[in-house]
Amino acid sequence: MKLQTKLTLFNAISKLVIVILFVLLLPTLIKNINQTYNDNRMRKQQDKVMQLIKSQGIGYYIQNGEGYGSYTLLKEEYISLDEADSSLSIDTISNHKRLVERDTIEYRILSHTFKAGGKNYLLEVGKSVNTVGETNIALQSIALEVLLGMICLTILADLFYSNYILKPLGLIIKTKLIGNKFPNFGSYKKVRTTTSDFQYLDKSIHEMIQAIEGAFHKEREFISNASHELMTPISILQSKIENMFNRDEISDDVKVRLLEMQKILNRLKSITKTLLLISQIENAQFLKEDTIGIKNLVEAVYQEISIRLEEKNIGFKILIAEDFTLEQVNRFLLFNMFFNLVNNAIKYNKVNGDITIKGFKEADRLIVQVTDSGIGIAEEQVSFIFNRFKKFRQSMEQESFGLGLPIVKSIADFHGIDINVTSTINEGTTFTLHFPPAEV
Amino acid sequence: MNVLIIEDEKSLAKELEIFLSTNNYLCEICYNGKTASEKIAINLYDFILIDLGLPDYEGLDLLKEAKKHNPEAACIILTARAEVYDRIKGLDLGADDYLPKPFSMLELQSRMQAIVRRKFGLKHTIVTLGNFVIDLNDRTISHNSTEVSTITKKEFDLIAYLIMNKNRTLTRPQLSEHIWGSLVNDDYDSNYIDVHIKNIRKKLSAFAPPDWLETVRGLGYKIKMS
Repeated sequence: MKLQTKLTLFNAISKLVIVILFVLLLPTLIKNINQTYNDNRMRKQQDKVMQLIKSQGIGYYIQNGEGYGSYTLLKEEYISLDEADSSLSIDTISNHKRLVERDTIEYRILSHTFKAGGKNYLLEVGKSVNTVGETNIALQSIALEVLLGMICLTILADLFYSNYILKPLGLIIKTKLIGNKFPNFGSYKKVRTTTSDFQYLDKSIHEMIQAIEGAFHKEREFISNASHELMTPISILQSKIENMFNRDEISDDVKVRLLEMQKILNRLKSITKTLLLISQIENAQFLKEDTIGIKNLVEAVYQEISIRLEEKNIGFKILIAEDFTLEQVNRFLLFNMFFNLVNNAIKYNKVNGDITIKGFKEADRLIVQVTDSGIGIAEEQVSFIFNRFKKFRQSMEQESFGLGLPIVKSIADFHGIDINVTSTINEGTTFTLHFPPAEV
Repeated sequence: MNVLIIEDEKSLAKELEIFLSTNNYLCEICYNGKTASEKIAINLYDFILIDLGLPDYEGLDLLKEAKKHNPEAACIILTARAEVYDRIKGLDLGADDYLPKPFSMLELQSRMQAIVRRKFGLKHTIVTLGNFVIDLNDRTISHNSTEVSTITKKEFDLIAYLIMNKNRTLTRPQLSEHIWGSLVNDDYDSNYIDVHIKNIRKKLSAFAPPDWLETVRGLGYKIKMS
């Protein structure tokens, strides 16, 4: 999952949890707020009553010891004044039931005792609990709506901000890691960001790429120089052997030994030439400007290689349409690629075996499959077959040095051809080449 | 024929001289570009072999000078730096052929012979072997005017190469290099030459036994011609 998706998901979930918590707490909260507000109001009413009593005198309200009471028509509120026991001294706000004209109603009641004119009085200010709770629902729904609105706003803000802040990271991944085809990295473009972590990441990746590129460059240069330097001494040795071979005074058994030397020199030459070719391909020293018919090319390979097929009596089938052509390719290289693929298919084939080369189109890509009925490759070795000088399979007759498939790989990479290998031990191997649409 | 060998590797130049002299060419050697440039300006040659990797001179400049002062000479470029760009440049500037090092001197000689045939417009180089008549230009073999049509391109290449080096034993590595030289693959010490020769003999024997195609035991093959 992408970092940004994770962050957004976490944000949304954490906010949802908060909303649920809030909704659960809301009734209690609102009730508390209402009650506190109501209690304060009753205190203020108490203060006003006390002030009235002070200015008008208690006698104005209580005469002949009869208590004073007043309530609203709907019995939602009431105020009462009464004489009280002289020992009573309270000042509370609490819920009680009161009987008012045959109705028992629960009130929130402020009870306050005070002294006036030498007597103890009790003042009660009441408000029905129902009216106190009346506003709860409305308040709750408003609070909820406001909250939801704000949560949505913050989620949106989070989304935009994380999108903005993570943009450089996405850019680093896209341009530095995904877009780069190993080992051609192209030039360095700094990713613009004020986030120091991303700056560091960008710089580090760039430095690593540079180090890898440097190592690759050195390796290529080394192979190129080494093989060039080897060519001259090999050339001299070859000429010397050839000249000696032509001298009449040399006896036949010396000639046989010269031939042995020639063979060994040939092997050295072959390895050097192959390495040089691979290094030339990797250094892009070949032009891609040929247009070739793929069937034609494979037939030319067949002409070249038929002698090797004959030896093991291997059947060879070409199933490619006449009109499949490749553009902007290098004929010499592709010829060598198919030659080595078919050669490989012969080398690891059985007597009376088969080789089939099939070409077909899938979407806009041309696919060519080289299938043999040979000894196959063990699954764990498939990923190593393109490594230089690695020889896993014991071939029956031919001596080789394990550079055939690396040549194939280099040429394929140079042309942007993807190669897949599937194999079953003792049944055969299929090399599938996916040509890029640009070449088809 | 006069050959100028321009090659800074002394021992390679020496071997070329030995080889070409025994094949009746008159050789001169230059180990550096400066003397080569002087020689090209003064003397006339039939062949100029130019090594591109001279330490003191741009090999392609020598080629230009050769074309100017020695327009009749056939120039063959020899180089260890077998890059394609060099190759294209070399042929554009009028080189007659190009041989990447390391090369077989037999290959060099056969290329030189090919140039001679081209230059002197030899339409038909016809060789008679027993009752077989071989036309190297048309690339045909016939027996009493009947063409042996089953001979493949590779097989003809082998016969032609053996004819060009007549009465000389060619080893399997030498023959392989000639017919598969431009291929890059990881086989060595192949016995496919034997298979080819076997096929050639079989095809020709249908007409007459090709006694002139000899196997030199343990060494290779040769074509005997008087």
